[in-house]
Amino acid sequence: MGFFDTILLPFTWAVSWVLSMFHTVLGFLGMDSASGWTWTLALVLLVILIRTLLIPVFVKQIKSQRAMQELQPEIKKLQAKYKNKKDQLSRQAMAMEQQQLFKDRGTSPFAACLPMLVQMPFFFALYRVLVSASQAADNNETIGALSADEVHSFANSSFAGAQMSDVLKDNVGENFDLNVVVVAVILIILMVTAMFYMQKTLMGKNMSEAAQTGQFAQTQKIMLYALPAVFAIGGFNFPVGVLIYWTATNFWAVGQQLFIIRRNPTPGSIAERELNERRAVKGLPPIGKAAQEAEEKSQAEAQKPKGQRHQPVKKPRKKR
Amino acid sequence: MQSNSEHQDLPDSAQPSPFIVKDGAKQWGFIRALPSTVVGWLLRAYRRIISPTYGDVCKFFPTCSAYGLEAVYTQGAIKGSLMAGWRILRCHPWQDGGIDPVPPGNRIWPDGKQPFIIELNHPVIPPDTEATEEDK
Repeated sequence: MGFFDTILLPFTWAVSWVLSMFHTVLGFLGMDSASGWTWTLALVLLVILIRTLLIPVFVKQIKSQRAMQELQPEIKKLQAKYKNKKDQLSRQAMAMEQQQLFKDRGTSPFAACLPMLVQMPFFFALYRVLVSASQAADNNETIGALSADEVHSFANSSFAGAQMSDVLKDNVGENFDLNVVVVAVILIILMVTAMFYMQKTLMGKNMSEAAQTGQFAQTQKIMLYALPAVFAIGGFNFPVGVLIYWTATNFWAVGQQLFIIRRNPTPGSIAERELNERRAVKGLPPIGKAAQEAEEKSQAEAQKPKGQRHQPVKKPRKKR
Repeated sequence: MQSNSEHQDLPDSAQPSPFIVKDGAKQWGFIRALPSTVVGWLLRAYRRIISPTYGDVCKFFPTCSAYGLEAVYTQGAIKGSLMAGWRILRCHPWQDGGIDPVPPGNRIWPDGKQPFIIELNHPVIPPDTEATEEDK
């Protein structure tokens, strides 16, 4: 066992235990334990479990994005202060002041890196479990919490004619297997499309006008094309089991995103305007930036008469 | 304690974090500094090549890689790497971030040899807008 596998051991155990548990439960519920569909469903349930556990992280992220909106005036002030100072040290000083500002409000526009890092070992562990399944089945070995029988069942179960441990790369050319190629290609197309669609709607609809220009938007644009490419190349090298996991994850992400865009869009985005239009049809007051603007307008109107009213001026008698 | 940047009276929102070293800090010889130099190269390569691909993501100042680089230079390769690792673990959604400078270390540099990252991590904050506008 290599160094990498040793580090991954606890994660491999956790992932394989959950997988085994779901598989057993599905067996109890009357599904065929040897069928690839049962294992596929177990994988999908694993995705649902992981993504459900991550929901608080996303909620937290969205809340802090909203809090950012309130900070805009102060950030503008800061930008004005450093307007003519573009050297590296001034940039640093600006970054420092900005971070202090975020901290004072208990918010940050930046997603913390830990949630992403936390997912990684689980993904690698799952990858290890799925990749090593066929070999372990041949040697009658166990993988983590999966018994030798379960490993056998998993490695030999087929999903629409492709085995869980089949890799697209090994099934083109000499050992051409039409079933594997079709299943893998369909899964890759599904997950890449989901990813592209998600990124596209995020950029088009759920970013405020301010965010659609500037560095952040640039990064998003790179991601739009780079990520699907990475997934397509990865899909060529990964076993069908991993592709199922990935496709399920991407579909969940799309669903979650559509839900957020519909119910709680970014202030100042197209999605928010659409939400307010829907609310207007139902006769509900607007929310978000539009509501804020409406309130400011009514306040300004309320203040106007006071400012405009002329005090009666005492005029000297001779001018009358 | 010694400090390399002058103190200023600043509003609460902008706390300066001057570069401070512990009492009895010394310059390091080549052998003593070698591990931190090597790890420093790796970190600088990361900051140069990998980091720019995803833009600003850190909720701390300095960023995790800048923190790690300074920590490795001032505290040595092993302690500095551990401190950087701990910093990454602290970067999660239930942490507010903010200014989090590297704690004082035991190392000083001859004039002009101090790594630039230290200067970058402890910038002098210019006085507020009103004051600068009066200057013009």
